[in-house]
Amino acid sequence: MLRNDPRERPLMLRRLVLRDLAWAGFILVVACVFGLLQHWPLVRISLEGNLRTHLEKLRTERRELKFQGVKTVSLFQAHDLLQQGQALFLDARPVEEYLELHIPQALNLTPEMLDKGEIQALAGVAHERQIVVYCGQVNCDAALKVAEKLQSLGYTQVAAFLAGFRAWDEAGYPVDTKK
Amino acid sequence: MQIRGSRIWLRLLEIVFGGLFVYAGLQKNYHPYEFAEAVLAYQLIPEPLVGLTAAVLPWLELAGGLCLMAGLKRRSCLVVLGFLSAMFMAVLIITLARGLKIDCGCGLFFQQQVGPAAILEDGLILLWAAGLYWWEVRKELGGGG
Repeated sequence: MLRNDPRERPLMLRRLVLRDLAWAGFILVVACVFGLLQHWPLVRISLEGNLRTHLEKLRTERRELKFQGVKTVSLFQAHDLLQQGQALFLDARPVEEYLELHIPQALNLTPEMLDKGEIQALAGVAHERQIVVYCGQVNCDAALKVAEKLQSLGYTQVAAFLAGFRAWDEAGYPVDTKK
Repeated sequence: MQIRGSRIWLRLLEIVFGGLFVYAGLQKNYHPYEFAEAVLAYQLIPEPLVGLTAAVLPWLELAGGLCLMAGLKRRSCLVVLGFLSAMFMAVLIITLARGLKIDCGCGLFFQQQVGPAAILEDGLILLWAAGLYWWEVRKELGGGG
């Protein structure tokens, strides 16, 4: 009876929405309880202010396991190599980001391009040439993926610049654009 | 007959919608530290609260998605999942406006960067949740379907 009475509808709607919100709150509480129970170590590390350090440690361990044998260079080493002008710099970021800004003379070569066999950037590059691969920031793996693939293709002097373009840009080192 | 047909469609759409969130929640729940890294990259939440966010959000997606699939408190599940989508939309817009180029941590089946495509995807999910909620309310109030 009530259901079909149009005058009662706003009141019913209000009650219904309030009830829905109350149950939504209950679901939130349940999620909090389960989340805290399952991931308490993560929550504790974060509350203690050690999350960043812990994540870096985990990232290093994961990379050491996954990308064994790939050499790395620091920000300053990468800058020195650019100044010496001997190394080829490869930008492993998506093409839009590369076109916007990149390290001078760097060529774009993403992991996807390598998978598709699009390796024009490597045309005429000697296998013994020093190559430095970088991606966006310290937590991206694209540079390591490209470096590993290049090593498997026979390039012997490949290194990944792990701090990435963000650190380079923040350090005030020269950048170039293709736009 | 027509009403029954539309109810079947409603349930089907709810099951698929819930399933998407269960999948997304499981991905995050299996890799909590990677998810915490993605949350940290947004630079929106104070570091001490990133762990709590990374612990609770996947469970919110899982609880909302599973209950919706099972047909338990469907409208409340849609409120939760719609609220999550709306919050995430705000986060994506703020991040895009700040010019941060980071992985959104949101791609259901592939990695995706924060950008218009991610906002569009989230907008569609939000519309889906709103549409289902409206449908459920109409049904409850006897307004049809």
